[in-house]
Amino acid sequence: MGKPLAVYNSPDVENQQFLVDLSKERYNTTNGKTTGPSAYVLEAGQIDVDKPSDPKLNEEGDFTYLSKLRMQLTGLQDDINEYLTHRMEQAKNKKLKQADEQRIKEEITKLLDGGDEDDEEQEGESIA
Amino acid sequence: MQQIHPSPLTHSLHLEVPFETSVHAETAVKALSPDPILKPQDFHVRYSTKGSLLCIDFESVDDRVLRVGVSSVIESIKTVVETIDEFS
Repeated sequence: MGKPLAVYNSPDVENQQFLVDLSKERYNTTNGKTTGPSAYVLEAGQIDVDKPSDPKLNEEGDFTYLSKLRMQLTGLQDDINEYLTHRMEQAKNKKLKQADEQRIKEEITKLLDGGDEDDEEQEGESIA
Repeated sequence: MQQIHPSPLTHSLHLEVPFETSVHAETAVKALSPDPILKPQDFHVRYSTKGSLLCIDFESVDDRVLRVGVSSVIESIKTVVETIDEFS
């Protein structure tokens, strides 16, 4: 049987492929890692009532074609979710770093320009 | 008056799902197509088939919107696959 696949593109990434590797457990289960309740919620005793059904077996006791497809899609979905989440975190960290650098730059400029006079005046007023 | 231009959809993902038959692939397109896109200015989805292959092209303004949209559609595809499996 053919396997599902995905290809991602963005301004800084070209043709990032997501392929199914049947030797890995994540492509042989209907329970995804990035879907459903978090581990924290489950550990707290929550029961997952929306849990995906187990793969269907045919008369010979093998998984049906569509069950295999559903398991492979589950693994592929995890791959895509994890990849995009990682990129989102990278973008967030980059943004925080830039904001921090900008703040430090502005504070240095303010100090060099003698911008701390206003603070002193305010402190004096509050004491009076 | 200044016009506001929509953000370009620079992030994309192409997904291929091999069904057993072209009828199943076309059934999936018919089941998935009516789902409304909540923010069409930020996210696009196009469904098509090549024989028994279901092809889906996603376009989005950023990774966050793409992640939410793609995962949601894959979840729907899994439901379609499971339904066909149960009734075939």
